[in-house]
Amino acid sequence: MIRLEQLSKFYDESRVFAVRSVNLEIQAGELLVLVGESGCGKTTTLKMINRLVEPSNGRIFVDGQDVVTRDRVELRRSIGYVFQGIGLFPHMTVAENVGIVPRLLKWEQSAITTRVDELLQMMSLSSEDYRHRMPAELSGGQQQRVGVARALAGRPKILLMDEPFGALDPVTRDALQSEFKNLQRSLGLTVVMVTHDMTEALVMADRIAVMHQGRALQVGTPQQLLAHPDHPHVTALLETPRRQAARLQDLMRATQS
Amino acid sequence: MTQDLTAQLALLPVTLSHHLLLSMSALLTGILICIPLAILISRVKALQWPALTFASIVQTIPGLALLALMVPLLGQIGFLPAFIALVLYSMLPILHNTVTGILGVDRSVIEAARGIGMTSFQQLLKVELPLATPIIIAGVRTSAVWVVGTATLATPVGATSLGNYIFSGLQTQNTTAVLVGCIAAAALAISLDQLIRLLERSARQHSRRAGMAAVMGLLLLFSAGFAPLILKRGTTKIGTLAPVVVGAKTFTEQYILAEFLTVALKQAGLPAISKTSLGSIILFEALAAGEVHCYADYSGTIWANVMKRTDIPPRAVLLEQMTRWLDEKYQVRLLGPLGFENTYALAISKESSLKRRISTLEELSAHASALRIGSDYEFFSRPEWFALKKSYGLQFAEQRTFDPSLMYAAIRAGSVDVISAYSTDGRLAAYDLVVLQDPHGALPPYDAVLLLAPAMAHRPDVVAALTPLLGTIADERMREANKMVDLERKSVAEAAAFLWNLKERTGKHMFNTILP
Repeated sequence: MIRLEQLSKFYDESRVFAVRSVNLEIQAGELLVLVGESGCGKTTTLKMINRLVEPSNGRIFVDGQDVVTRDRVELRRSIGYVFQGIGLFPHMTVAENVGIVPRLLKWEQSAITTRVDELLQMMSLSSEDYRHRMPAELSGGQQQRVGVARALAGRPKILLMDEPFGALDPVTRDALQSEFKNLQRSLGLTVVMVTHDMTEALVMADRIAVMHQGRALQVGTPQQLLAHPDHPHVTALLETPRRQAARLQDLMRATQS
Repeated sequence: MTQDLTAQLALLPVTLSHHLLLSMSALLTGILICIPLAILISRVKALQWPALTFASIVQTIPGLALLALMVPLLGQIGFLPAFIALVLYSMLPILHNTVTGILGVDRSVIEAARGIGMTSFQQLLKVELPLATPIIIAGVRTSAVWVVGTATLATPVGATSLGNYIFSGLQTQNTTAVLVGCIAAAALAISLDQLIRLLERSARQHSRRAGMAAVMGLLLLFSAGFAPLILKRGTTKIGTLAPVVVGAKTFTEQYILAEFLTVALKQAGLPAISKTSLGSIILFEALAAGEVHCYADYSGTIWANVMKRTDIPPRAVLLEQMTRWLDEKYQVRLLGPLGFENTYALAISKESSLKRRISTLEELSAHASALRIGSDYEFFSRPEWFALKKSYGLQFAEQRTFDPSLMYAAIRAGSVDVISAYSTDGRLAAYDLVVLQDPHGALPPYDAVLLLAPAMAHRPDVVAALTPLLGTIADERMREANKMVDLERKSVAEAAAFLWNLKERTGKHMFNTILP
């Protein structure tokens, strides 16, 4: 579905590398998580897929077609995007936010209305209560539900997500993570998601690509990574969830006995 | 007082209309220029510094200077120079706020707009401009208040505005007129400010009701404001003859003379209107360009300021040369002198004139070293003063500068002995002062002369109406008329009527004037 070939991005006349020779293949219906610390190149990689950032080198194929040959605007409309810090339009109502891509695609107004209602329902927001509200009147979790609904409005097959749950409190984050995972499965969406939270990556991903200093160090399923981390940095990143899990287990055992 | 107020208020609707028309068309043009320009600037960063700097520099030019500068630049007076100056004046807040508003839109929102596939134009139209709207409106609001206020300065460049009340009121000491002008301008500025504030709030809170109320309020204000102008236009179109435009500078004597000329033209059956409170040089240029048709100027002023001559020939020679020069250079006709002279002069109290036997500058020079002289801000740096000192060897014990109105109080209180004055100032008579003779002819003559625009120079009806006025106003008559306005708080119309009645009764006052 998506293939990255020798993908690189550098700035300042090739002195600063953001992304170096990344090769990745994402299957249809797969949820791939790009994980790594700040500045590792994961967000840049994500943004090159819908050409928000132009690659310096290498190629990207979406549906077998080189993205350079596609019109940037049309490409972006065909791919859903969930933004870091949510990025809803503050001057538009919930319904206007969700309906923006269909409107850009020039759907009929009645079709847009139906689609907006359907999506709000899907994101467990009652259409009657929410469609006329402004983003500022919503909680963080509700805002990101609207953000996901907006990304899905144009019926994209691919969804790009940049730290979608980063700004949410733990309870809301947990709820949205599992809801979204179910949604992704049932819709058969191909998703590339960026996070710096290894636990989130392990919980949600079909496969994980660990990035460090612009390179993809290791790509594999959560099980493969946990069983055979083949780089010290990958081991280090897995250390935190492991330690947390072990402590929790100890704690729970102690409480039971 | 109440009668005066009623008379002033009668003029208000039309004056207010003109003011509103001038300031709103300038503001609207400012908006239409600045918003697209600001959008361009927000896209092309290199333009940002030059454009905002230009607008800031314009803003630092004092309003009156900016307006006056437009006259020589455009070569005409009236609506256009005032309009252009006000458009320039309106730019900075609109430009600045629009750029700030657009560039201040949250980066993550812009990224989202790009990310979901908006074109650059859609980003601007659907995201950046709507989010910047409250800030843009705030800029327009600032601009509106500035423009309405600054438009009062359009009067001296010949555009009708509420400044007409203020300028002529200040000069003729008519407090009622000044207050009417100030209050009307302030009320207009405040109503606009509040209505636009409502618009701003509606944009900020997405409140349609507040927006509707603001728009309705603005429409109401405009329709009420423009109604008198539209009604007036409907009635004046019927007239057959275009009115003769009589000009005046910004002091009492000029207002009286303009009224005097207007009366004479109307008596002869010619429609006439006056355009007063114009800057001295602006007025001559307006006459040469045919925008003003006649006014009274002073021979010495034209000689020095327009002809740039520094020599002082005898009075008759000067008049004759000037008449020829004006005709050849501008086709302006010098119809002739009105009969009085308004020159810089030195004056002393009648009491000390009698006591010390001083009636000429020559006699003054013998006593000067024991006397103190007071003057306005200008006189001690003028060529007339240097000429006097040189010609009569004047050396005073002390030299002091005053505000003109305080100068007269100073000589009355005895804190100075000699003052500089305009020879037709009504206060000379009121304060019992004697104007000293100038036997050496050190001061250029400042005969009041009647000038006609090229198009009027040989129009028989106009010439016939104005010629009988020549030589009818003696120095004392002009001084008396000035005194009526400056000291007795009579109206300009009353003073002009006084001159007119004297002329009717006694005819020509002097027959010895050399008529060119």
